[in-house]
Amino acid sequence: MNTTIDETENPFFSNNKKGSEIKGKFIIGITQLAVLTIITVLFIILGIIIYEGREKFSWEFISSFPTNGMTEGGIFPALIGTFILVIVMSIAAVPFGTITAIYLTEYAKENSKFAAAVRFSVRTLAVVPSIIFGLFGLGFFIQFVGGGIDKAFSGGELHWGQPNILWASLTMALLTLPVIIVSVEEALKTIPRELREASLALGATKWQTIKNIVLPGSISGIMTGTILAVSRGAGEVAPILFTGAAYYLATLPGSLSDQFMNLGYHIYIMATQSSDVEKTMPIQFATTLVLLILTLSLNLVAVIIRSRIRRRVK
Amino acid sequence: MATHFEIELDNLKNVIQKIGVLAENQVGESVKALLSEPVGEGKEVKKNEEKIDKLDVKIDVICQTIFALQQPVASDLRFIMSAMQISNEIERIGDLAISIIKRAKNIKDKHDLIVKFNIADIARMVEVIMVKTNECFLTRDESTIGEIFILNNTVQNKSDDAIHDIINEMKSHSKTVVSGTNLVIVLKHLERVSEHCTNIAEYVHFMINAKIIKHEKFDGKKSEK
Amino acid sequence: MKDLKKDIKIEVNDLSLYYGEKKALNEISMVIPKNKVTALIGPSGCGKSTFLRCINRMNDLIPDVKITGSMLVEGVDIYDKNVDVVNIRKKIGMVFQKSNPFPKSIYENVAYGPKINGIKIKTELDEIVETSLRQAAIWDEVKDRLGDSAMGLSGGQQQRLCIARTLAVSPDIILMDEPASALDPISTSKIEELVHELKEQYTIIIVTHNMQQAARTSDYTAFFYLGQLIEIGKTNTIFTKPEQKQTEDYITGRFG
Repeated sequence: MNTTIDETENPFFSNNKKGSEIKGKFIIGITQLAVLTIITVLFIILGIIIYEGREKFSWEFISSFPTNGMTEGGIFPALIGTFILVIVMSIAAVPFGTITAIYLTEYAKENSKFAAAVRFSVRTLAVVPSIIFGLFGLGFFIQFVGGGIDKAFSGGELHWGQPNILWASLTMALLTLPVIIVSVEEALKTIPRELREASLALGATKWQTIKNIVLPGSISGIMTGTILAVSRGAGEVAPILFTGAAYYLATLPGSLSDQFMNLGYHIYIMATQSSDVEKTMPIQFATTLVLLILTLSLNLVAVIIRSRIRRRVK
Repeated sequence: MATHFEIELDNLKNVIQKIGVLAENQVGESVKALLSEPVGEGKEVKKNEEKIDKLDVKIDVICQTIFALQQPVASDLRFIMSAMQISNEIERIGDLAISIIKRAKNIKDKHDLIVKFNIADIARMVEVIMVKTNECFLTRDESTIGEIFILNNTVQNKSDDAIHDIINEMKSHSKTVVSGTNLVIVLKHLERVSEHCTNIAEYVHFMINAKIIKHEKFDGKKSEK
Repeated sequence: MKDLKKDIKIEVNDLSLYYGEKKALNEISMVIPKNKVTALIGPSGCGKSTFLRCINRMNDLIPDVKITGSMLVEGVDIYDKNVDVVNIRKKIGMVFQKSNPFPKSIYENVAYGPKINGIKIKTELDEIVETSLRQAAIWDEVKDRLGDSAMGLSGGQQQRLCIARTLAVSPDIILMDEPASALDPISTSKIEELVHELKEQYTIIIVTHNMQQAARTSDYTAFFYLGQLIEIGKTNTIFTKPEQKQTEDYITGRFG
């Protein structure tokens, strides 16, 4: 078709159309390459873990105790220990973190120095290396608080002043606290100001507004944030190194003052201090697989809860 | 359910109807006075005159309020514009009726003159025009507009003829000059009443068709417009 | 405006508002009559919305705000230290510019206020919900789907729902901040008609940037400019023969 429009004169036609097209395609290409790389690496890691751990991975593995100097058997106590740790940690961290986030978002005045101090502390805590939490747990919880309890109630007899699941959980709680606070804060902020105003204009108090409008509306964000924080805690090892994790226990922990086994810690010990590293390789990989599945399931639960709540609200 | 604006428009329509009926009554009384029929109390006529004046002012105020507060458009706008004008015309009709009544009292031997010059026909026709005009505003019926114009033409022609005859009579019988002159004035008043009615009909036409036909010559074809 | 003594709902005396150092409202004095619609008009930034929000103390939510002067509602200064702001807001309701229904069901939206006030019995709540929705002229449209989410309603319906929600707590005064500015003409006229019906029971104060809307719906109109009250009077008078030249200039579109 013959066109009578002079392409170089008409402003609708661009002069460097080809140039910007190539640039665009180039950028798309690079991002696609990056995504591909990430996915490939992820699959390689998963692949290795699954491949190496496949022979050991079974129901028996999950449900039985380790035997023969940790070179055979299962990881049941480590699994249970991890569960208990996660539960106690959540009970300690989630309510406290949620209340702090509510204070920061809803009650704190804009130029309040106290709120600014709280925020600063939270942000700082978030970047503290996890081993430092472990040291803090040892020095504060075990020696100071635990030792103090022992002196006061059992005349110096060592009971609480030593590593156990309670102190380990509280230490982990401190670790995940900043993450919980930040995600709850973010969730609360998604509730638009207009809804709060509407509630207040009807004669509701601030707390009634928070309880009836803000919290229900942000519950999905709160749940997601807390579950993600918790799943991070399930995998951390450094804070529990000297606050309560043990390499081998014949029995499951019976009370909060007992020590416990832990999946992450188990993998670490087996990889570095086991009597026969070669033989325990499959166990290591299988344990890793279990830990991965645990973490991924927690994330999946978070996603499902969030989408269910979203559907209900609509 | 009508909005409060629609209620206000209805209210205005009712007030115009009211003033129209009052004017119709006044015209009726004036014709009765002219044709020597028993007339009502003079007080009644005076009271009605005052009512007409008051309603005219009221209509102006209502229209101003509606313009300022409701910003009427389209047919509502034409209605309000017409309402003010129609009220004006009706008020003039009321004034003319009073004038006719006053004059009619001063005409001696009017019964003979009336019969001689067929004045009763003209007077009755004007009454009919008045009734039709009120009807026309009420029903917004276009065919009535045409009828009003046709009747007006007849009245104008007959009145011209009658005046011509009266003048001839006055030329030959000087005793009849006073009565004759008064009668001519009364006839002129009747003509004016009829013209005001056609003006009202023009405003009704404007309300319906958004076309202003003021000052156009009627040649028997207006009823088709 | 002075011969209203018995019928005054709100009396404002020298009310000034400061955002930090900036004076946003300059010694406003006026009376708002009972059971009438008073419109507040003026160009953008003239302070009419700020003034409206003073009436139910919503400006308290803004940090760094200072208010001097007094605002008496039926004789009681709502800025008195001993006054409970929560109770004020139960008596003085507000409808906002952009409708803001809660992400709950239609029923729950309207029942929110009564529930907050302690009404728990379902039959009582049902009755309040129905009455309020009827008063807001939306009952017929939603009576079969009270359990549906309020977010599924159209803009005009949402705004009427917000009005029903406000009515449910039985206020005396209803404040409306440009309630129809985000709506199409038909929804707007429904809201205007609703305002006309509601004034028999409530005192209504409505902020609008649409002068014709103020002319159509209100009994009294107050003209604000740069934080000051220029003129207040019967709407009929303001729109036919205003006293102040500024008012006339604004209304005729000569400025602002």
